Amino acid sequence: MPTVYLAAEQENVLRIHWDEFTFGLIAFLLILGVVYKMWPKLTKALDERADQIEGGIARAQKAEAEAEETRQQYREKLEEAHREYAQELEKAKEQRAAIIAEAREEAQVEARRIVEAAHAQIEADRQQTLVQLRSEIGALSTELASRIVGETLSDGAAQNRVIDRFLDELEQSGNTQQAEVR
Amino acid sequence: MGADVNVVAASESGCHIFGHGCGFEAPGVGLFSPTPWLDFGLPGAAGVNKYYLVAAVALIIAAAFWYFTTRRAKVVPGRGQSMAEMLVGFLRDQVTRTTMGKEGDRFLPLIVTLFLFIFCMNIMGLIPGLQLPVTTSLAFPAVLALFVFLLWNIVGIRRHGFGGHIKARLVPGGVPAWILPIVVPIEALSNFVIRPATHMIRLFATMFAGHLLLALFAAAGFYMFNPLSQMGALYGALSVGYSAIALVGFLVFTAFELFIMAVQAYVFVLLTSIYLGEAIEGAH
Repeated sequence: MPTVYLAAEQENVLRIHWDEFTFGLIAFLLILGVVYKMWPKLTKALDERADQIEGGIARAQKAEAEAEETRQQYREKLEEAHREYAQELEKAKEQRAAIIAEAREEAQVEARRIVEAAHAQIEADRQQTLVQLRSEIGALSTELASRIVGETLSDGAAQNRVIDRFLDELEQSGNTQQAEVR
Repeated sequence: MGADVNVVAASESGCHIFGHGCGFEAPGVGLFSPTPWLDFGLPGAAGVNKYYLVAAVALIIAAAFWYFTTRRAKVVPGRGQSMAEMLVGFLRDQVTRTTMGKEGDRFLPLIVTLFLFIFCMNIMGLIPGLQLPVTTSLAFPAVLALFVFLLWNIVGIRRHGFGGHIKARLVPGGVPAWILPIVVPIEALSNFVIRPATHMIRLFATMFAGHLLLALFAAAGFYMFNPLSQMGALYGALSVGYSAIALVGFLVFTAFELFIMAVQAYVFVLLTSIYLGEAIEGAH
């Protein structure tokens, strides 16, 4: 009967066969040996990776610090440039003011000089005109008088006196006329 | 679908549902006593049987996995190395570091070996043609549990001396003196007998039961497949339907078994780690 056969075949499942135990031990020790043998390779790779990552972080921090330093320098330079620009601007303004003032002064001096020269010229012209007029008027008057009076007044000295007196009177009347015109 | 060789052998009698009236013979524990190919008749020995074959395959898979994934370990890992690193990282973070702290890194190769070996032995139950988890023979879990038990004692004695280790294991801290005559024998039994025994039997029993369940589904599927039933075509079709249910059950439980195989390997190494951590710690 099959049931009897199966029951006979069944043995204690909690048995431990020593040969299987030995084989299991050998297998276990073999794998343990392989794992231990290969272990340093893996840990070495892991350590190297950790080193590289740490190195990378250190490099990145260094680069960051350098960048910050460069930025600081750049900022300082920029501020300095701004400062210099402002100074230059101030200086240029001052110079411009100075130049303008100088030019104005020069122009005034020049104008005054021209005006004075014109005045002098006018005065000179006037004097000349006066002298000329005086002599012409003298001559005209002499001629006139001689014509009126005749030959009597041919004496030079007396002639001059008469003319001068005549001119003085003329001048005085001219002055008063001028005053009235003004 | 690869039905277990033994199961097929057990059902070779030709019994089927709706057949000649012979009943279903469920696969028994005989599954786990394969006929030896070479029997030297030594007392207490099983002889060279299928367990030798599956254990050798498990050994080769475990050793080859570790050898080929770490052979050319580089800073920038390949696929294999990444797998090995993931395994090591998982066992380190989930097992040794949580139970032993940094000191546990010393035992990490052992934990990796145990996990690899046990998992490979377990998955032998799913490899078509082999389909026999090595751990269903108590001898194999016993090797590992005994190794761990010895290591546990060695670590404890080296750390705390023989007396210190024994005292730490027998006399729990904070127990009043008058109760010690009761507690000490209980602790002795618990720590030195029951614990290593349960350590190996836990692994053995779960794999044993799981494999028996799979074998049952396979045998049932085979038993119920009888499309040419003498009782008519209707019963034949019904038998095919029953067989399909058994097949679905077999597939579902196969997937579940794979999970259990990994979990049991994890549990074994976790307990190993806890025991070793306890030995390092000493009295508590």
